[in-house]
Amino acid sequence: MAANEKITLINAALGYQKSGGDIAVLDHINLSFYEGDFVGIAGLNGTGKSTLLKSICGLIPLLSGAVHIDHQNINDLSLAALAKKVAIVLTERVGGFNLTAYDVVAAGQMPYTGSFNRLYGEHLAVIESAIEQCGIRNHQHKPVNELSDGLFQKTVIAKALAQQTPLLLLDEPSAFLDYASKHELFLLLKKLAQHEKKCILVSSHDLDLVLKYCNKILLVSEKGAELLPVAEAAQSDTFKTIGGGYI
Amino acid sequence: MRSANIIKFSVLVLLCAIGCILSLFYGGSEPVHAANISSSDFIFWQIRFPKTITAIIAGSTLSVAGLILQVMFRNPLAGPYVLGISSGASLAVALSIFAGNAFHLFSDFFIGKSFIVFAAVAGSFLVTVLILAISKKINSNIVLLLIGLMFSQICGAMQMALEYFADPNNLKSFVIWGMGSLSNNTNDDLMIYVPVAILCTAALLLFVKPLNALLLGQNYAQNVGVDFNKNRFYLILISSLLTGLTTAFCGPIAFVGTAVPILSRMIFGSSKQHLHLVSCLLIGCILLLFSDALCNSLIKNVSLPINMITTFIGAPLVIYLMFKNKHW
Repeated sequence: MAANEKITLINAALGYQKSGGDIAVLDHINLSFYEGDFVGIAGLNGTGKSTLLKSICGLIPLLSGAVHIDHQNINDLSLAALAKKVAIVLTERVGGFNLTAYDVVAAGQMPYTGSFNRLYGEHLAVIESAIEQCGIRNHQHKPVNELSDGLFQKTVIAKALAQQTPLLLLDEPSAFLDYASKHELFLLLKKLAQHEKKCILVSSHDLDLVLKYCNKILLVSEKGAELLPVAEAAQSDTFKTIGGGYI
Repeated sequence: MRSANIIKFSVLVLLCAIGCILSLFYGGSEPVHAANISSSDFIFWQIRFPKTITAIIAGSTLSVAGLILQVMFRNPLAGPYVLGISSGASLAVALSIFAGNAFHLFSDFFIGKSFIVFAAVAGSFLVTVLILAISKKINSNIVLLLIGLMFSQICGAMQMALEYFADPNNLKSFVIWGMGSLSNNTNDDLMIYVPVAILCTAALLLFVKPLNALLLGQNYAQNVGVDFNKNRFYLILISSLLTGLTTAFCGPIAFVGTAVPILSRMIFGSSKQHLHLVSCLLIGCILLLFSDALCNSLIKNVSLPINMITTFIGAPLVIYLMFKNKHW
């Protein structure tokens, strides 16, 4: 097992526990992701991209098999310890209760604060820099439910950055972004993978961006999940199916 | 803390003190400057004093319970009364009064009271868990309120059945209690009511961080290291304790739990739940103390039911929020 291996899925079955029996979306998954990896997850709708990301950070329990982060089974890690290792950006919208964009980003520092969630100088600096990196300085004091979908997406990405984790999971973070912001986001993620040695998994339907910026592509289809370097993945039949012949 | 907030809190504390004075000195049952000193002493210490303390505790416990429910359901209109939790407690109390009389539990004051309190807490816990299970199936805030309404109707119907078959003694005791009143408690009652209420409220200090995290929803709360299921259980338990306790001692009191957290968010414009915990305590006190003073001073020598006033304040606020559709 390589030392720089960050995420390992061992014979994992991912899906949902229903009373009528488990529904496996992906089965017999064996994958390894390393530090510095910037992986684009490509797949048609409903093939299990979100399920995969949520399973890796423990939001959905595995049906069988195991997920290891830093060579430790996530079931053996406390939630607090896991929160310092992996941050996720989801597609759901949250808001109300006077929550501002700043409040959401500040929540990223919760794993590092005490039981009264008091923010000190070092916390504030991290929050500031995450806001800066995502370019939402001018919107930070707006209520989140008044933000556009794109600005909201930048806010939750900033929250994930503020969590200061070596692993970042992003579920369709570019869906609502404008053209320039999409590229800026992927550039930022690429930089974080290269310079800060983060391991980043991003699911996206923007295949051109994935081809341009990622170093690996995880192809998810009914056949399972296949992790390939970008050049190889681009030539594969699965990728061509996902692209529908348009890419 | 920002200076604006310090000013706001100072005003709230001042209003609270004014409310206490109003409730103590204009709280009905004849003016204190009556000729007979000993009888005026009696009125002050045995009637007005317990009533003022009851108003303070009832206002703060219901408001805090409402705050917890609103955050947990992420529904700005939730509250123990509108979700039918108070009705669940009421029904449980009605049942326990029957059972208590049947088994002569009330011959001992503390056993009798504890039994009623326990029943009320169990009743509110049961309804909260049911509502929570249903809320997982539906996403609409308004539908959840309608279901809460139906719950209170069902509890009401069951209570009606109990009342119909009750003997006159039982009937009178819980018809009066069911109207909601701050003046049912003696100083002996307060010996149970006050310490338990303070203990439950203080326990909430352990949940400041989870409450803040829950605003982001279950998934994000888990991802920042907050155990959703564990914290949700404790928060339901505490809010049921607070609601059940106050319902046991004062009957169901309408809308305070819904209105106060809304007012608090309007006044402070903040999403910080530790701030709202404190301000809900204060605003809840103020609301009930002033409502009580109003009840006793609107019509001379008549003490109006407290629920009348709280509903007049709370219900329009809920309607206003539904129209405004702004998620406070």
